[in-house]
Amino acid sequence: MRVEDLPGELILWVLIASEILVFAAGVTAMMAVRLTDPEGFSAAQAMLDGRMAALNTVVLVTSGLCAALAERAAARGQAGKARVALLLAAIGGVVFLIVKGIEYAHDMRQGLGMESHPFFTFYYLLTGFHAAHVIAGVVLLGLVAVKARPQPVQAGAAFWHMVDLVWVLILPPIYLMG
Amino acid sequence: MDVLVRNWLWLLALILATVVVAGVGGMAATALLLVLAWLKARLILGGFLHLDRAPGWLPAFTVPLAIWLAVLWGLYAAG
Repeated sequence: MRVEDLPGELILWVLIASEILVFAAGVTAMMAVRLTDPEGFSAAQAMLDGRMAALNTVVLVTSGLCAALAERAAARGQAGKARVALLLAAIGGVVFLIVKGIEYAHDMRQGLGMESHPFFTFYYLLTGFHAAHVIAGVVLLGLVAVKARPQPVQAGAAFWHMVDLVWVLILPPIYLMG
Repeated sequence: MDVLVRNWLWLLALILATVVVAGVGGMAATALLLVLAWLKARLILGGFLHLDRAPGWLPAFTVPLAIWLAVLWGLYAAG
């Protein structure tokens, strides 16, 4: 196992590992606090719409495929193809945010705010922080699409896969482990 | 089949499995949900982030993730 074997820039992997650790700490804290009120956490979690989360997972992994295809096209010198794939990946990110916005609006209409229950404090913090990463990722995909050079596209795609990775890991504790 | 498309299809299959298992409930089903999450993470790390081409690096990520998910299950089971 050598550092030079890692695909792309080392700093990207430091970022990916750091982000996983930050979200892991948040989710672990949520599960630890859950021990003080398991029934309350289950009841609160049951108020979320898991269908939205499932839809968003499909959207995000499909967007991830587009980012991966963009990376490959850029590496082959197919800048136009890479731009189209990056645009599709970014659109996936925007769709994710729209669905998340609809979900938040639905939660708010039910009176579920950050103060409603400790579960919702974690829910809004973790999913909100993740959504902030989605926004950053959409901007990044747009920026690297301008010239569509291999190295920046690889970096943008890696960031996007990290956003995808974090989502599939935080999904069960937030939505499904009630 | 294109290796990236195949990776994506596996991810979709795992999402579908997650939706099915989520409707079951219970300790075993919850453990299975975490296993499915780990498999999805492995596909993203290996297939999309190319760690399957970096000797030793895929387990460097997936083993700690498996331990962390096991800890989450332990916390869930203790509640």
